[in-house]
Amino acid sequence: MTRITVLAGAAAVIILLGIALANAHHGWGSYDAANPVTVEGAISEVNYTNPHATIKLKGPDKQWTVTLAPVSRMQTRGATQDKVAVGKTVSAFGYPSKAQPDELRAEWIKSGGEIYQLR
Amino acid sequence: MQQGGWLSAIEQSALGVFARESVWLYPTANVLHILALTVFAASIAMLDLRLLGAFRETTPGLFVRRIRLFAAGALLIMLLTGGILFAAEAPHVWANPVFRIKLALIGTALVNALIFELAMGRVVDRLPPGFATPVPARISAAISLTLWFSVAAAGRLIAYF
Repeated sequence: MTRITVLAGAAAVIILLGIALANAHHGWGSYDAANPVTVEGAISEVNYTNPHATIKLKGPDKQWTVTLAPVSRMQTRGATQDKVAVGKTVSAFGYPSKAQPDELRAEWIKSGGEIYQLR
Repeated sequence: MQQGGWLSAIEQSALGVFARESVWLYPTANVLHILALTVFAASIAMLDLRLLGAFRETTPGLFVRRIRLFAAGALLIMLLTGGILFAAEAPHVWANPVFRIKLALIGTALVNALIFELAMGRVVDRLPPGFATPVPARISAAISLTLWFSVAAAGRLIAYF
């Protein structure tokens, strides 16, 4: 009985871990990596905040909400607040969200001729 | 008050604003949340395995009580740091189905712990070392292990749903 219960408990834990690992491939899973886009435009809004900084970017087709990186990563990679200020023209290369049609997760962002990797 | 107004209120609270705008609070809370989880998971595994029949040479009541202090301390740290992470983007997190599943699992696991304490606590306390724990205590421990590790898995999965 005891052994069976322990085995059942262990099996449940292993199954759950399996589910977790299968889904935890990376946090980019809900973005369409097969169809990357580059959007260039002026920044109309900035949220330089955790857990991810975001900007609103007026692209030629529509306004995108571009998800960047956590604030600490933005800073260590050099993408400081002045590089993504309102009014600045930047380009963002990334993947459209599969859930939100106007959202983009940026692989990198180019500001002032400099590319900042965000992944 | 509009529906979900309390969520926006949390997000717009001083804590919510600070969690978003401070460079280090969010990552620090995140790291402490995970460190506390490692202590918590280890403690829960130890005390539940004891109830399931492992470490049989120890006195079950004493063993469970001592280790439960570590679990309780770690749970407190996870509640505090989890509160910070939640405050940063409360409406989004609340809308996440996995977060709600996690809350329900935590509630169920706490009720399970309470039932154990009320129904079996005294029996287990009186058990000398070397004896098998009663079947209800073992069932409770198996449920506890499954629920708490599911809570941990759900926590990690919030980011992917």
